[in-house]
Amino acid sequence: MGRAAAMAAALTLPIDLRRVAAPSLGEPRPPCAILTLDGDDSLAESVAGFESALREAQVPFTRSLPAHEAAVVIVPGVVRIPRRTAAQTTNALVDGATVILESGAVFGADSGELRDHREMLRHLFGVEIDPPVSLWPAHGIPYVEYTWPVAVRVRDFSRVVPVSKHDGEVIGRAAGLPVAVHRCQGRGTLIFLGSPVGPALWSGDAEARRWLGAVLGKRAEGRG
Amino acid sequence: MVLMMKKSIGDNMIPKDWGFERGLDLVKKAGYDGIELWLGDMPWFQMTTSDSDVRALRSKVQNAGLVVSNVSTGLHWASPLSARDPKVRAQAMRIVERQIETAQLLATDAILVVAGLVTEEVPYNEVYQRCVESLKTLGSTAARSAVKIGCENCNSEQRFLLSPREFAEFLNEIGSPAVGIHLDVGNIHDTGFAEQWIEMHGPRITRIHVKDVLKHRGRSGDQSVYTNLFLGDNNWPAIRAAMTKVGYDGWLVAEMEARYRYAPDQQFYDTAHALDRLIAGQLT
Repeated sequence: MGRAAAMAAALTLPIDLRRVAAPSLGEPRPPCAILTLDGDDSLAESVAGFESALREAQVPFTRSLPAHEAAVVIVPGVVRIPRRTAAQTTNALVDGATVILESGAVFGADSGELRDHREMLRHLFGVEIDPPVSLWPAHGIPYVEYTWPVAVRVRDFSRVVPVSKHDGEVIGRAAGLPVAVHRCQGRGTLIFLGSPVGPALWSGDAEARRWLGAVLGKRAEGRG
Repeated sequence: MVLMMKKSIGDNMIPKDWGFERGLDLVKKAGYDGIELWLGDMPWFQMTTSDSDVRALRSKVQNAGLVVSNVSTGLHWASPLSARDPKVRAQAMRIVERQIETAQLLATDAILVVAGLVTEEVPYNEVYQRCVESLKTLGSTAARSAVKIGCENCNSEQRFLLSPREFAEFLNEIGSPAVGIHLDVGNIHDTGFAEQWIEMHGPRITRIHVKDVLKHRGRSGDQSVYTNLFLGDNNWPAIRAAMTKVGYDGWLVAEMEARYRYAPDQQFYDTAHALDRLIAGQLT
């Protein structure tokens, strides 16, 4: 099996997600949009990880399409989100997209940035978080346990942003701490990741790719 | 084939209370051709040392009748190129950039980098990928500066690139003529044989660190596995033959542990004489 085919299989994507056509244009439109920020505001390895996983699975994605036209919007490793990106993301949820919002506060957010990050998550996405927690050296077992949409273990990224309050479902825990949730918002679904999955995708973690594939598969089935 | 290898020794071996110039005097008298400068180890050469002060170091080295064989650093053990934290990685990149800058100021064409540190927390795959990506970038910088980056094989200490083939494939992926291997013939002791590493890496060897090893001691306990040349288990005739086989005619850099309880300067003389015998192939 060729590498691309193997990765596609690992992502377990149904065919229709790869060929979503715009009814009015008659042209296939990317099912995924990755929203990145300028400079150091996105965790570079997260961006690279999501891109490489989608590229290897031959899932079309774009950075330039208006986010609300995508079925899945990925916001990798962010701390500060500009108003435009925040609006794109919340509009996408209103329009029924699945949004994967990955916190980049695990490393280096100063107290002001962290405060703004927490406020943004609470105000726009209904998720309250605690300050980042370092899992090492006490951690021992280096994995985050995800239970939805598929049960996998993904290597942790040293520090996590625990979720303290939400009105959804906890889907990931590290050292017993809730670090990933999914909740309904608008007509869409928000998946908040307090432990970056992007770097695991970047380094080839097979279970991370399986998790992403399962999320995209849920979306294609209209159940995510 | 006549090999014109030269010998040097690290400035971090100069006895602590001696000072740089007295140390240079010793290095010259003991018969070395050059000195290896360790960025971050000694007070005269730190990340904060200005360009003019680095030029002054070069003048002192030249006035002593020596040259700088290469610029090394141990700063990457605390700030590795493979760190997860982007700020730590940026610092690691800056350290290598400063090594390249100072190598030019010191008129040498090689630096030593410890590329990557695998730990329980930061796994092999991440370390490998980060190092390849950062060394591709740094290789371009080095090439423009006519400096070569030698990644040192720290083997079991790094838990990374443990075999010669793995190391060769790593360098292949980086794909830069300015990135090679600073080959340490002692660090290999528990994972392979130095002469085989020399054979497999040949023209990619930027410098060779020399030391001997007492394999039975291993890496545990309170006794060091490393020892002076010819006192340990390295097959020096095979190592010397491998150098001839690949046509290595560069620097042999003594990286010893300072083990002399008395007369610490004597280690400089003894090591220099041992290196002369190694270069001449007089090992019987």
